[in-house]
Amino acid sequence: MNYGPLVFLAAFFALAASWFGLVLTPQMQVGHLQQTNTIPDGVTYPVSRPGLAKEGIDVYRANGCAYCHSQQAGQTATVCDVILTDAGTNQSALISALVKVNPRLSEVEAKAWAGNLPRRVLQGVNKSVADSAVGALKVGDAKTELWIVPVGPDIARGWGKRRSVAEDFLFDYPVMPGAQRIGPDLASIGLRWPDPTWHLLHLYAPRSQVDDSTMPPYRFLFETRRIERALSPEALPLTGSLAPPPGYEVVPKAEARALVAYLMSLRADAPLFNAPLTVPAAPPAATNAPGASAGTTNAASTNAPAKPFTAEELLKAAQEKK
Amino acid sequence: MNGNLTQTVPVGVETAEPKANWRAVPVWLLILLLVLLYWAMLYFDQHSGWFSQDVYAPFRSQNEVALYQPKTEGPDLRRGQAVFENVCALCHNPDGMGKPNQGPPMAGSEWVVGSPARLIRIPLFGLNGPITVKDQEMIFPSGMPAMGAALPEDDLAAVLTYMRQAWGNKAAPITAEQIKAVKAQVGNRPQPFAPKELMDLPEK
Repeated sequence: MNYGPLVFLAAFFALAASWFGLVLTPQMQVGHLQQTNTIPDGVTYPVSRPGLAKEGIDVYRANGCAYCHSQQAGQTATVCDVILTDAGTNQSALISALVKVNPRLSEVEAKAWAGNLPRRVLQGVNKSVADSAVGALKVGDAKTELWIVPVGPDIARGWGKRRSVAEDFLFDYPVMPGAQRIGPDLASIGLRWPDPTWHLLHLYAPRSQVDDSTMPPYRFLFETRRIERALSPEALPLTGSLAPPPGYEVVPKAEARALVAYLMSLRADAPLFNAPLTVPAAPPAATNAPGASAGTTNAASTNAPAKPFTAEELLKAAQEKK
Repeated sequence: MNGNLTQTVPVGVETAEPKANWRAVPVWLLILLLVLLYWAMLYFDQHSGWFSQDVYAPFRSQNEVALYQPKTEGPDLRRGQAVFENVCALCHNPDGMGKPNQGPPMAGSEWVVGSPARLIRIPLFGLNGPITVKDQEMIFPSGMPAMGAALPEDDLAAVLTYMRQAWGNKAAPITAEQIKAVKAQVGNRPQPFAPKELMDLPEK
């Protein structure tokens, strides 16, 4: 019996189905992705990376950074915070509204809250609860803000403000989202460590910056050379056993500068339609969480430098730990 | 060794070779598969966001994403600016200073910051005839066409609000409800207004 046509058709359909699912569908989904606008500010996003950072992509790729570092922060939920910014005129009505909105609050506490603004009234609630709270707090010209807050383990570690979306990679080729996290995620490293000197020192001697770092030193991206007339401005401030012999200096090569420029440009924090978040103008006073200790332990345990960046992150980290 | 392992096989009673036959799939299995398929379809419908590029994991549908968009306090001036620069700025200049023979200035113009009823009628129905702006008699040969008639009410409200709050103007915002009210009041009117007609309208 001749099974040829049957085998051919079966193979054809199997391959066609996988091509359809793995090539055609994603192409239709994000193949024509274009620049978009941030919400609500309407700023164009993303803009092309600056020239040196564009060269840095090639250095990142050549040194295999993507084998140990991912560039895709995740997010498990989006929640809302309600912030009271202005107590308005009718204090007693506001206090009874506060107690109604947040049942764990006593009247005395509510009074103290109303005197110390801005204050987070509700944290981590869903949109309908937040909306009704905002409605309930509309007494006597009191003003509230509703913040949209992405949450998840990666965000609690300070690896990003929101999840990564396809737009973040729009001008990158090749896209290197990475699959392993031997080192921390780099989706927003430029936001987390905005100091280029820190990055250069970290590339030269990772343990000098992060105590338990497992990253190999990338000293071939640097040059040890004789000091000509005076110390170059870009010489690394190395001390102790790392310091070069007297009369010499360690300067980054062009590759190192490009790589650091690329790392500086990694900041996936724009509020977009598909990744909404509120960018707070100023962090309000903390509600009740003793955030600092929780935040630092969280950061240290994930190989990130033990320096959280805003009160926001501290609060979130504390919340995650609970 | 061969105690109870040996069996005496009766001669001639040997069973036939087993054969594969066609048998119908049990009905319960079919029903189970159909129920699973139905559940999968419902799950897909509720969780996939229909493969939209705007729907990422914590969200399940476009509506849910839209629900979580941060809102800004007050009128949306950026939207108004975008509409202005696309539609109005050709004749009135992006800086609101107007262009000779094309459009009067809007910065500081009493027509813009004054009565909303007059202002809304101008883009909705057009304006034709000599007009006095900031104590200056001006003549625009081609008049103003009904540029705003085709705009969505939200966009028109945004652009009028932008005009009333940009370039140093400080007047109350215009809402889409006000525009709807004017549309209902005037009804279908093919010819543009004349400035004198608008001046006859009450201030409010």
